[in-house]
Amino acid sequence: MSEAAAETWDGLARAAAAPGGAEQAELVRELLCFTVDGDPYAVPVERIREIVRLKSITEVPRVPDEILGIISLRGEVVQVLDLRLRLGVPATELTRTHRIVVLHGDEGEVTGLLVDTVSEVLRVEEASVQPPATGDSEFVAALCRRGDHFVGLLNLEKVLDLG
Amino acid sequence: MAARRKRRTAASKAQAEFVSEAEEILERMRNDFGLLAESLVGSGEADPEIVNSLFRSAHSLKGLSGMFGQEAMSELAHHLEDILDRLRMGRATLDRRALGLFDESVTLSAAALEKVGDEDAAEGLAETIADLIGRIEQWNDAPEASRGEGPDVDLPDSILRALTEYEEHRLHANVAQGRGIYLVDATFEIAAFEDGLQEIQGAIREVGEVLSTLPSPSGAPGSQIRFSLLTAADLPPDTLRERLELAPDAMTIARLPEGLAPESASADAPDVSDQPARDASAPAAPDETLKSISDTVRVDIRKLDELMNLVGELAIQRSALSQIANRLAQDPATSRVGQDLVKVQKTLERKLQELQGSVLDVRMVPLRQVFDKLTRVVRRLRLDQEKEVRLEIRGADTELDKLIVEELVDPLMHVVRNAFDHAIEPVAEREAAGKPAEGCIQVVASQRGNDVLISVSDDGRGIDVEKVRRRAIEVGLVSEETELGRSDILDLIFHPGLSTREEVTETSGRGVGMDVVRSNIGALGGLVDVKSEEGRGSTITIMLPITLAIIRALIVGVGPHRFAVPLNSIRETLLLDPDQLQRTEGRELMNLRGDALPLRRLDDEFRLGLEEPDKAYVVVLGVGDARLGLIVDRLEGQQDTVIKPIQGPVATVRGVAGATELGDGGAVLVLDVSALVEDVVRKGELRE
Repeated sequence: MSEAAAETWDGLARAAAAPGGAEQAELVRELLCFTVDGDPYAVPVERIREIVRLKSITEVPRVPDEILGIISLRGEVVQVLDLRLRLGVPATELTRTHRIVVLHGDEGEVTGLLVDTVSEVLRVEEASVQPPATGDSEFVAALCRRGDHFVGLLNLEKVLDLG
Repeated sequence: MAARRKRRTAASKAQAEFVSEAEEILERMRNDFGLLAESLVGSGEADPEIVNSLFRSAHSLKGLSGMFGQEAMSELAHHLEDILDRLRMGRATLDRRALGLFDESVTLSAAALEKVGDEDAAEGLAETIADLIGRIEQWNDAPEASRGEGPDVDLPDSILRALTEYEEHRLHANVAQGRGIYLVDATFEIAAFEDGLQEIQGAIREVGEVLSTLPSPSGAPGSQIRFSLLTAADLPPDTLRERLELAPDAMTIARLPEGLAPESASADAPDVSDQPARDASAPAAPDETLKSISDTVRVDIRKLDELMNLVGELAIQRSALSQIANRLAQDPATSRVGQDLVKVQKTLERKLQELQGSVLDVRMVPLRQVFDKLTRVVRRLRLDQEKEVRLEIRGADTELDKLIVEELVDPLMHVVRNAFDHAIEPVAEREAAGKPAEGCIQVVASQRGNDVLISVSDDGRGIDVEKVRRRAIEVGLVSEETELGRSDILDLIFHPGLSTREEVTETSGRGVGMDVVRSNIGALGGLVDVKSEEGRGSTITIMLPITLAIIRALIVGVGPHRFAVPLNSIRETLLLDPDQLQRTEGRELMNLRGDALPLRRLDDEFRLGLEEPDKAYVVVLGVGDARLGLIVDRLEGQQDTVIKPIQGPVATVRGVAGATELGDGGAVLVLDVSALVEDVVRKGELRE
């Protein structure tokens, strides 16, 4: 995991694991929220390079189904991961609201994440972060409260690990 | 966070520059030490030019590493500089111990360089370095070799004053050895004086030693510059003049020992001290002219990649522009302005191509750096082993993309080591076979169009084809019954796990086989081939594209998909005649001028799930002697493409070398031809 991401995750995970430590944690994190099959998910904004509208995606053979294909981004060629398939939700027709969230790590590695719609940037205090509701969460690292609802904070390292 | 990343990049950039520069110096030193060891073995005397060059390198390394806070390395370089200084001043004699210390210092510096940025590892090395410095100090404490004072020389004070301590020492040493001392005058055009100077210095070095090169202020017209080269040579003046092709008045004699003096020489030896023109301490000298001569810049190759990307994007924009222009030109309402636009974009296209060419040109480096490494390896092998082998190199000036040159080192080294180790026979065996005792490995590079050919030939025992075949049967690669042609069998040496020798020696490359050579070269978009004649020797030929940055590709279409196929691996393209199509064991093949050509459909290889088209083409791919026909629906034309790595969670896709952008902004996969051909031809079936 990259250093910057690790810091974010450490903070969030600590807060999630120890709700009692809330008084010292006034740190506010910015998360980008989007939906997949109607459910809200989020990733830390530090990991986002840009958000692009759908453009022509070139299929790539001999890769897992979750890899939708590749796009060309100003000279770079980047794989696009269909988050629906990755989260075990059936694929849908691509619509005008679909977006590719382009993520980057500290080492410069870039990946596109196909989501249904991008909704907002959410500012959360670490105090409002909780551990996932069940122990078998594969891709959700923590839950963040937004009003009456919870947003699933994705564990990107796991989401992107297709190995 | 952004700021932190930026700082880190700036620091790591400086660090990368330091590492690359230090590597260059160490490389040079390694080379020089090799030559030094050889000169010591050969003549029992250390070549002063090499010692001096080493001294300068150690000095640069000291300064450089000091500047970048690499104290241990700087300290080590400092001690090295000390030894070398004493050696070049004649205050110490070169011995095996000193050579060993040199070797260790360079190896350790290189190790330290690798650890730069990793403080824990660097600390681990610090102790080893300190220990080495201790031993250098011990050596340095050895009593000074006596320094014989040479007799006086007949040179004007102005010149003697201008000599450095080292130059003075060399002057005395040469006089003591009874060499003639001469002053050679040379005048050059300022614009090109470096070349001229190098040429005459080189010529002098062939017959003697350049003690000092002093700029000579007067006597040259405005656009010219004059030098006096203080020269020591074991030749009489006339012979030297002849060898250097000098005009009669371009040389004066400073000291002529009796052995060199011809009977009548005394008459034409003018008194040097009467020549005021050679007052080297006079001011006017070349300050203002020397300043702007060295105008090279070191550039990180990644910056060139960025530049190349930009050029590529411009080209894509240009083709979009061209489409608009053509549309306008075809519409009667706008045809005039459209035609103007078409013309402008044609010029733009030409200029873009020039730009692309210039950027590519900057990336090119001569193969010499790789070849120098080969020379050193062979030299070392020769010292270690009881073999007489000569390495001949031709075409070292052939240029290739810097990135390719770097990746070429290992495979080429391996091929040469193989030749040395396995191909060239021991002296006794060679003599018994009626061959010269000294074996020969030839490395020849040349450019052919957009490719570079590098061949490594030896005059050794050649590849025992029968042995290779038996071994292939043993490991179950082919069956006893398989009928194989000679070239098919030779090709088997590139197969993983096949070596005609069971034991793996240190010099054969630590068990890394020819399969790795082929895959390394394949990864560079190149091809490897072998020819061999038993008892006469073998030739391994490597063909590489000049650059990876841009390759010419054929765009092929299969259903809605498009793929780019590098043109250098396409042998021909044919319209598929359904009557020629045959099947064996469900596999398609066709008769291509008498040879069975295995066929594959991209549709099947990549499981695209398409319907069979009514009309199809066969793209005949070739890797070495292996052929594969790829069946595609359409040929969409050739294009210069920039291959980009595909980023994302799936690191590599077998059969895909990368992707490229086409004019319409979409990405297109570039096929990895060697992988495709290998999968089909090598794994599946060997041709009859």
